[in-house]
Amino acid sequence: MAETWNPKIVGFLCNWCCYAGADMAGTSRMKYPPNIRIIRVMCSSRINAEMVIKAFQMGADAVFIGGCHPGDCHYVDGNYRTQKRIAVLRRLLEHLGIDPRRLRLEWVSAAEGEKFAQTMDEFAKEVAELGPSPLAALQREVL
Amino acid sequence: MEQELKAHLKKLMASGDVAGIIALKSERGMAKPYLFADASELECLCLTPKYPMASVARLLLDEDGAARFAIVCRGCDERALRELAKRHQVDLDRLVIVGIPCDEEMARECACPEPFPSVVAVGTKLEQWEAEDIGAAYRAMELDEKLAFWKHQLEKCNKCYGCRNACPMCFCKDCELENALWVKHGRLPPEFPIYHMIRAFHLAGKCIACGECQRACPSDIPLMVLNTLLREDMEELFGYVSGTGADAENPLYTKEEMQ
Repeated sequence: MAETWNPKIVGFLCNWCCYAGADMAGTSRMKYPPNIRIIRVMCSSRINAEMVIKAFQMGADAVFIGGCHPGDCHYVDGNYRTQKRIAVLRRLLEHLGIDPRRLRLEWVSAAEGEKFAQTMDEFAKEVAELGPSPLAALQREVL
Repeated sequence: MEQELKAHLKKLMASGDVAGIIALKSERGMAKPYLFADASELECLCLTPKYPMASVARLLLDEDGAARFAIVCRGCDERALRELAKRHQVDLDRLVIVGIPCDEEMARECACPEPFPSVVAVGTKLEQWEAEDIGAAYRAMELDEKLAFWKHQLEKCNKCYGCRNACPMCFCKDCELENALWVKHGRLPPEFPIYHMIRAFHLAGKCIACGECQRACPSDIPLMVLNTLLREDMEELFGYVSGTGADAENPLYTKEEMQ
């Protein structure tokens, strides 16, 4: 039986802004594609390179990281750290042969339910166009 | 150069300024890192092969609370000491750096960005030096070619941890590469690609391009390609070149917004 492929997106959302934004989208009954699997973290800077790489290794087609807008971080400067870390990580993914568009960082505030829904819409479409992650395919071979 | 260096070190020792000299000692045709505490021993001092002297200094300074040491340093050793000092792993006030340059053959072998220290105590540094661009061929590859290339290369890994152990910048007491959450225990080759990606990422803004990891690798994995590409990225994204400037901080550790 052929299974239709749908992009799997792992989303790491910060507790204070993006997660609340996603919550807002939900309570406002906004529609967005169900591709994202959300993992709540206390701050986007909690996400280290290991977590992102592991997500890709385990078959994620894309990874989304959502944090607070610049200046709004609950921990003052966490999102600045995330921003720099992800910039370097995207380069590393590219060197390895993974399209850096598969790793996306966005700032979404607790009030921006609409932005969250829109971003998910866009991102799911973009990943669908990129197709399945080559790393996920490699992993299936191993298994 | 060796004789000249020995004479220089003897003088340094006689001055009483240092408790000992960290350098390589030749013994039964082999070389080992050694702390020369007496001028008479200096006869056995040797300069080759290349050895990550900064790691020796780091461990030694840890042992002894106050003494000052001289250390025979190549360009890469000096860069490593600078980065280690930024992370409070060595105290540069307790080290007297005796700089020696590398010859062209050695510099080429390492594709060294700067095969001489800031102050050359003995010998003459290469006047004209341009390092080989080892990243060029990889930057030109398509994404799927890159992935196939690394898949092939990293499959050769037998997880000996040689790259980490040889690296002068790997000083963490708890290493994420030993954490079973990321790298499964007892699996060969390690799962693609997390093992090598963790190492490459942790060295971003840290790697001083000494090439020790690649030299240590029994499977000839071109690890310096990844490290060099990330060194270039750090410069492009943040203007940061690791191993330079005592005041410049790795932007990945600072709290400032990205420009």
